[in-house]
Amino acid sequence: MFDSLKKIFGGGGEKEREKVLAPVEGTVVPLSEVNDPTFSQEILGKGVAIIPSKGRIVAPADGILTVVFETKHAVSITTPEGAEIIVHVGLDTVNLKGEHYTAYKKQGDKVKAGELLLEFDMAAIKEAGYEVITPVIVCNTPNYPDMVCHTGMQVKELEPIIEL
Amino acid sequence: MREYLYEIKDPLGLHARPASIIFMEARKYSCSIEVQWESDKADCKSLLALMGLEAKRGSIIRFRFDGEDEEAAMTAFCTVLEEM
Repeated sequence: MFDSLKKIFGGGGEKEREKVLAPVEGTVVPLSEVNDPTFSQEILGKGVAIIPSKGRIVAPADGILTVVFETKHAVSITTPEGAEIIVHVGLDTVNLKGEHYTAYKKQGDKVKAGELLLEFDMAAIKEAGYEVITPVIVCNTPNYPDMVCHTGMQVKELEPIIEL
Repeated sequence: MREYLYEIKDPLGLHARPASIIFMEARKYSCSIEVQWESDKADCKSLLALMGLEAKRGSIIRFRFDGEDEEAAMTAFCTVLEEM
């Protein structure tokens, strides 16, 4: 697994590409599998979705937390290179109004990749009738015409999922 | 320059879905489209800026259109916002 990732991300001597790392442990699937057209039709941008196996979201890159919703169900991070990444935990989970979510950082905070941002109670969210699938989107996609998304694998936190 | 005032009716405020609808519409026009809430402003062509406003239900937000297709953009915004 690691070897094949190394091959994929090894780089051929070109300038190293910026990477988006997995913010949550789980299974990475294409956005087209998300049951919400805003994500599946890539309206917000390209990316991947992760079916979480653990209720923990960490920063997918170094940057500034440009948005942390009061409802704690979504965060966005802007990297020093300018990539705008959204991590949206679950579908329609804005309706939970923050219940079953705990935020460890606030809007405007500077974070390093891997810092804990949110925890969420997967069982309770599912029980409330919501999917926990977590789209990870680069919302300024037009700036990255060569973006590559990797799907169809299991990831631990901080394994690369998108190359910009 | 054209302006349009809108009262946020979504009970959850300007969260990801309404913000993305505004963002998608804004990207169709070449004029600058800015939204102001209280003392904060955001460029409607930046989704993160829009969501970062965290404008609440019942707030009045002010859209400002400036550029060649401002009239068309404002008309389209009126339709989209009233449907939200």
